[in-house]
Amino acid sequence: MSGYPLVRNPLASESKRDARDMESRRKESRDMSAKGKDERLLQTIAEMMANGLQTQTEPFPETEKEFGAILAELRQLPPDDLNSKLVISGFVDHPYGPEQQRCLECMYYLVHRKWCDLPELSVPVEPHWWCRLWRI
Amino acid sequence: MANLLWLQGGACSGNTMSFLNAEEPSACDLVTDFGINVLWHPSLGMELGENLQRMMRGLVSGEIPLDIFVFEGTVVNAPNGTGEWNRFAGRPMKEWVRELANVAAFTVAVGDCATWGGIPATAPNPSESVGLQFLKRGHGGFLGKDYKSKAGLPVINIPGCPAHPDWITQIVVAVATGRGGDLSLDDFGRPKTFFTSFTQTGCTRNMHFAYKVSATEYGQRKGCLFYDLGCRGPMTHSPCNRILWNRQSSKTRAGMPCMGCTEPEFPFYDLAPGTVFKTQTVMGVPKDMPTGVDKTGYVKLTAAAKAASPRWAEEDIFVV
Repeated sequence: MSGYPLVRNPLASESKRDARDMESRRKESRDMSAKGKDERLLQTIAEMMANGLQTQTEPFPETEKEFGAILAELRQLPPDDLNSKLVISGFVDHPYGPEQQRCLECMYYLVHRKWCDLPELSVPVEPHWWCRLWRI
Repeated sequence: MANLLWLQGGACSGNTMSFLNAEEPSACDLVTDFGINVLWHPSLGMELGENLQRMMRGLVSGEIPLDIFVFEGTVVNAPNGTGEWNRFAGRPMKEWVRELANVAAFTVAVGDCATWGGIPATAPNPSESVGLQFLKRGHGGFLGKDYKSKAGLPVINIPGCPAHPDWITQIVVAVATGRGGDLSLDDFGRPKTFFTSFTQTGCTRNMHFAYKVSATEYGQRKGCLFYDLGCRGPMTHSPCNRILWNRQSSKTRAGMPCMGCTEPEFPFYDLAPGTVFKTQTVMGVPKDMPTGVDKTGYVKLTAAAKAASPRWAEEDIFVV
């Protein structure tokens, strides 16, 4: 004989539904707060570049080896050193080079989130920006 | 009843392990359901010493018919072309291989080492290893370009590191049940039924490939592994995502890049540091494009795909 009741307690399923709703509201609130944080960071980066931040756009990493060397440099940085991150990766707030490359075509760019998904960068970006870690 | 002999040259036994794990059909099914008589196999054979040598001599002389000769591992020629580094049953293995291949109705190479040399034949190749009919992409294998078994077929190549167990047993069954003549082979002697489609065919990440969303870490459920993690699925011929491994999954489904092990060039870039599991690029563009795609088309496609990319492509859709 199983220990489970034959008739479900409607109150129990209601309280489960309440718990699910509450969790969903909490998640929504966390997402909103993260979104707000990303927007503020995007604004900060935009201002830094608008104020003339000089970054290292050259040399462009010709092969995987040079690309890896830049990533290694980025990994040495303290997590909150945004300035050095932008300088080393060569951020600019406009398309770059003869082919007018942009974040928009870069494989690390998440279009809807407006986000650079390269783990060593992980920052919000605008689609018309560029950096020398651009890869297609 | 078809007599099958399985020998092993310069090998790690990976293909034997794979074969013994076959399910459809299993290694036991070959004997019980398909009437295959396994004369000898390195992990199953009972005969030793003089008994084994007597059987081998009987096969070479034709006294015992050899219907299917399966070879795993490279043909070792070192030192100095003598083959003495790999002796078997009283003489260099390569001498047995030559004589057995001459009397076999069908010769089947299993795994990369036997097909085109695989890892042992990678430079500097100290064991002077070659595949049965190929050395990498060229016809530089031990039996020569013009070799044909008694049934009139070149070596049937079942590559892979290791080959999938069911590729092995299904080909063996086809041959043993008189359907060997129906096998259609590609330019590298691979059965077309397995090696015409790509590893990417059936990959669960195809939507992410199409919308150019990249995985950036192993095991990530979101994103394609081609763009950053060196996956060779779009340019490797294999059914790894059609005939699943352990009937469950594949490397790419599990979030690990395909290494292209069914292609003659494997291991790519001679396993140089930084070339495995990392997409090789030149000025930001992949060095090896998906088969049949050129750089201009690729760049155009990327721009269009990114522009059309839906929101869900950026999220983990495989919710547990």
